[in-house]
Amino acid sequence: MKVTDVREVPFADWVATVRELRDEGYAYFDWLTAVDQTDAAEDAGFDLVCHLVDTRVPRALRSVLLRTRAPEGRPVPSLTGVFRGAAWHERETHEMFGIGFDGFDDGSGLGLRPLLLPDGFEGTPLRKSFVLAARASKAWPGAKEPGEGHDSARAPGRRRVQAPGVPGPEWGPR
Amino acid sequence: MASEPTNQPTNQQASHPVSLPMPTVGPASMGALGGHAPKPIKVVLNWGRRYSLWVFNFGLACCAIEFIAASMGRHDFIRLGVIPFAPGPRQADLMVVSGTVTDKMAPAIRRLYDQMPEPKYVISFGACSNSGGPYWDSYSVTKGVDQIVPVDVYVPGCPPRPEALLHGIIRLQEQIAGERLSTAKLKGRYAGSRVASAGDVRRPLVRRPAAPTAPAGSAGSGVPAEGDR
Repeated sequence: MKVTDVREVPFADWVATVRELRDEGYAYFDWLTAVDQTDAAEDAGFDLVCHLVDTRVPRALRSVLLRTRAPEGRPVPSLTGVFRGAAWHERETHEMFGIGFDGFDDGSGLGLRPLLLPDGFEGTPLRKSFVLAARASKAWPGAKEPGEGHDSARAPGRRRVQAPGVPGPEWGPR
Repeated sequence: MASEPTNQPTNQQASHPVSLPMPTVGPASMGALGGHAPKPIKVVLNWGRRYSLWVFNFGLACCAIEFIAASMGRHDFIRLGVIPFAPGPRQADLMVVSGTVTDKMAPAIRRLYDQMPEPKYVISFGACSNSGGPYWDSYSVTKGVDQIVPVDVYVPGCPPRPEALLHGIIRLQEQIAGERLSTAKLKGRYAGSRVASAGDVRRPLVRRPAAPTAPAGSAGSGVPAEGDR
């Protein structure tokens, strides 16, 4: 299913929009996640993304992708009041991005807690600010860099790629 | 265990399982034969061991599919004496770690490895369990299963073809054929990595949890109510 209907939602209308769409027929909650946009030029924060599907007509499913920009450090209103199944997605978003969810309730009374990460894991690994410490502590075990072929010497070089998460020079020589 | 003071028949005896001592699993050996037997006998003993490897597939990702393919009719590692689908790690001689080892799964791998009786062997199958593979950068992937358990044979590939596993098995069998199985050798072999023997890594029998004190028929309980014994 190709997502064609993408709607930007104001942050304040997040829950109301989802509830409206659910009552409209988009009653299948597909998934919810976040995108780290803290390095965006304007209005930096986290994109919250939610995909809803209308399954009433077989073989003609309609879907809508909702997106809102949440300021960093500000809790997002929880969707668990609209879709109970959003609880797992919000827990995962919470542990991966460190986003809080206001009014989160999955019926257990335990609140937001890690879902997938091992016990004792520190940090929010899907944030761009999360440093991939393996690069700083261990040598790259491969013989070749990614993208390097038999005779192409102009590979970008794993060490020179400045992707988010690559430890900076303050982590020491590598 | 055996010296528990609950051996007298009491009224509660019927509800307790019979307390049997755990078989002691110490460092394995073939007795005096393994250590001091003349070479032809050792050849025969190792010949028997190398062609009856009960294998325990620690399948974690797509490599496990290749392992299954290797166990099926076309590639058929049973013809090499590798017997798949051991009932559990306690019955296995060989563990094949096939797939992405994550930090969350790592304690389970170590525990199941510790449950295997010695002598035991590990084949690391695929790039992920060799070194982390394409997920080497990840926050959650262990950078090689050899950080957890000692590995005898590494099979490279992403995923390796079943033939590569056959090759790895033959390499392992060559290694087994050259082994000397005296107690001292075995102790030395596992001394650096042993944290527990198979007899240690067990847990007590699972018992029925105490009946909840909450009123029966609450909305949250999905389990049908059962009468107390």
